Amino acid sequence: MSNVAAMHLPEVRAPLAEMSALPEQFIDAVPQEQVKVAVRDLNFYYGTQQALSGVSMGIPNKTVTAIVGPSGCGKSTLLRVMNRMYSLYPGQRAEGEVLLDGQNILDRKVNLPWLRSRVGMVFQQSTPFPMSIFDNVAFGVRLYETLRKADLSVRVEESLRRAALWEEVKDKLDRPALGLSGGQQQRLCVARSMAVRPEVLLLDEPASALDPISTAKLEDTIVSLKREVAIVIVTHNLQQAARVSDRTAFMFLGRLVEYGTTERMFNNPRTTRAADYVTGRFG
Amino acid sequence: MTRDGMILGRSGRRRLYNGVFVTVCALATVVALVVLAAILISLFRNGIGAFGFRLFTEDTPPPGGAGGLRNAILGSVTLCAAAMILGIAVGMLAGTWLAEYSREGRYARTVRFINDVLLSAPSILIGLFVYIIAVRPLHGFSAFAGSLALALIAAPIVTRATEDVLRLQPRALREAGVGLGTPHWVIIRRILWRTAAGGIVTGALLAFARISGETAPLLFTALNNQFFSVNLLRPVANLPVTIFNFALSPYEDWQHLAWAGALLIALTVLAINLVVRILATRAKHP
Amino acid sequence: MSEAYVSSPHPLFPHVHVRGQRVERAFRYACSAASLALLGATVGLCVMLVWGGWPSISTFGLGFFTSTVWNPVTDTYGGAGPIVGTLITSAVALALALPLAFCTAVFLVEFCPAILRRPIGIAVELLAGIPSIVYGMWGLFVFAPFFATYIEAPLMSWAPPGTVWERLFSGIPNGSGILTASIILAIMILPYIAATLRELFVSVPVRVREAAYGMGCTPLEVVWSVTLPFVRRSAVGAVMLGLGRALGETMAVTFVIGNSHRLPRGLFDSGATISSVIANEFAEATSPMHMSALLELGFALFLITFVVLALARALLGHGDAA
Repeated sequence: MSNVAAMHLPEVRAPLAEMSALPEQFIDAVPQEQVKVAVRDLNFYYGTQQALSGVSMGIPNKTVTAIVGPSGCGKSTLLRVMNRMYSLYPGQRAEGEVLLDGQNILDRKVNLPWLRSRVGMVFQQSTPFPMSIFDNVAFGVRLYETLRKADLSVRVEESLRRAALWEEVKDKLDRPALGLSGGQQQRLCVARSMAVRPEVLLLDEPASALDPISTAKLEDTIVSLKREVAIVIVTHNLQQAARVSDRTAFMFLGRLVEYGTTERMFNNPRTTRAADYVTGRFG
Repeated sequence: MTRDGMILGRSGRRRLYNGVFVTVCALATVVALVVLAAILISLFRNGIGAFGFRLFTEDTPPPGGAGGLRNAILGSVTLCAAAMILGIAVGMLAGTWLAEYSREGRYARTVRFINDVLLSAPSILIGLFVYIIAVRPLHGFSAFAGSLALALIAAPIVTRATEDVLRLQPRALREAGVGLGTPHWVIIRRILWRTAAGGIVTGALLAFARISGETAPLLFTALNNQFFSVNLLRPVANLPVTIFNFALSPYEDWQHLAWAGALLIALTVLAINLVVRILATRAKHP
Repeated sequence: MSEAYVSSPHPLFPHVHVRGQRVERAFRYACSAASLALLGATVGLCVMLVWGGWPSISTFGLGFFTSTVWNPVTDTYGGAGPIVGTLITSAVALALALPLAFCTAVFLVEFCPAILRRPIGIAVELLAGIPSIVYGMWGLFVFAPFFATYIEAPLMSWAPPGTVWERLFSGIPNGSGILTASIILAIMILPYIAATLRELFVSVPVRVREAAYGMGCTPLEVVWSVTLPFVRRSAVGAVMLGLGRALGETMAVTFVIGNSHRLPRGLFDSGATISSVIANEFAEATSPMHMSALLELGFALFLITFVVLALARALLGHGDAA
């Protein structure tokens, strides 16, 4: 961590009490060469209401980055910017830059299907499509690639194995996906996203609707997937962030307050806000 | 070819299909709107001529004479009012039974299904039915028979609206009433009907909009009448049948009156539907 | 629980609950009677049509459904013409209205600019409530003359003799006939189907649509692979309800179908539907057999619409993935 080529020092308009912590709070910033997604001076608006102000952070490749913070702090909004999900809604707009391998994805000219084939997303509640398990996983692949049947089957199996779901569903691939349990559905959605072979996987509170056992399985899946992709997970469950992530970002009222390795963020937070939050004093 | 190249290459074709699809959808919407606008425009152009003060003050004329639709309008109001009283009474009670007393057995499911059958039965068949049970035995067409036919159309609509909206009321409301020792029917009358009033009124208004334009069931029940009458046991003039007869007549004056009548009905129905929408949005954002 | 409480009289005012109980029971009987009345009316409707149509049913038997002879002078009746007319006009109307309604609904949900979405949606919903007699009058006075001059006559002169086109476009080019009636019916059910489909599409959870967009789907792919399968059953049910409306519709058809009991031979040929025959002849039916034949036709219409409704309900009732 000594080669502190900090990719960008964010401008934090933090309350006075926290100003003293400013120089130190990003000391363990991500080295430039490891950055997969770079967010720079991002402002986001729902109509006239500003939801993100001046967010800047580097998301490293092949690691799990957790974004935590109290509800309404903008963490889901930040995630939804990273694959332009907000473009579906006319009143929502983003200012600033989000660079994926150096290319600004906020550019109007970006080909959205191409972007989304590189940046996959899994939602809070599982979203199986009304078709068979196999077709769900093959869905995205068929959008982008023409594979022979055998190759497609291989891809589906491989994706289901990565999502640790293969053993549970291998005998019923042609059954409707809606018949799976909640936890299985969620891992199916992970498999569906992974089948496209994305480079970044966004997870928006993926375990909030799951029971503890399904959550544990999903977390194992997440940890094993980081060998291949950059993972960004939004969660309000601090234990979960501590368990699965390598880096943690703490957001508050639309701003990035503190960002660093998970270990340091939980043991030695530099800002009082983050300290209060991780120790459970508010949130 | 690189994977990115493949994706981008495909995306051109996918975008093309999507563009064609968007265009087709937009065109379809334009076609639908143009046709429907054409109907409204000709309704206004043809109806507005005879639309005026006289429409409401003079009775239907003999061919070639001048006149209005006063008797038909008043007759329709009478018919609809009588039908609504009957329809609301039966519909509210039946809907309440389905939601509160039915205990969800096979019988309740049958009643619900039968209500749906009645709801979507062709209205002309309801006219035939009322002819057999109320016109033939009483030896003559009557306003009463017409109201009965319209009530049979209105009642299932009100029933459904009442049941649906009563089911939406929170359990806690009922339990709070029971907790105070209130008898069930007092809970229904004083609490449930009151909180559900908006939905029931909406259902009743929709039923009113539906029956105010119904023609087929009146053809052989209320028949028609050239003169003003509110006697429930005599045939009564009414707008829809007057429009039907006048439109098919060879006399131009009558055809103009038919257009004016059609415009009047259409405006009434549109107004009722607008009121319903406003009520519905109010209920959502109090 | 409430029963137990209610039946025990109030310790201080015992008479209060005795009266309350009596009213309670009366109220419950009233509710139950109202539901029984609806049941009775529907069953009565069915029974009366059979009873009234019995002379015709017993005289003509199954031949009623194959014969096209409709002769009040000799008192011989066969209903094949109107029955076939009903089925054809409704089927053609649905074939015309469904694609337009589907595309309109999709446009409103997926592509429409936000400013226009509400007004167009409201307009479509309001138009679904316009009484059918308005559509019938428009068909008679505006559409039929236009159709005769600009569509029927050119098509008939274009159709190459001896081909299927010539058969299809045969008839009298006076603007009224099977196709005109179908088009008016289509225009009438179009807003109804569009409004229902739109409601169904909107009911698809946002997260599922977002997930599909998140995979990089184009709107076409979202509609086709996700939205439509999601509401498939309900959509078919809604379309069936639209079909039911077309089958039973009287006023929009009677004005423009031409009223002939023959089997229609071409799209421009005049024909009849069950409801148009009843509307035209019932009030003037003189012989009991004539009336009975009309009631039997009514029963046939009841059966057809009943089957369609039962199918629609079976599809709608079980619901979809949602």
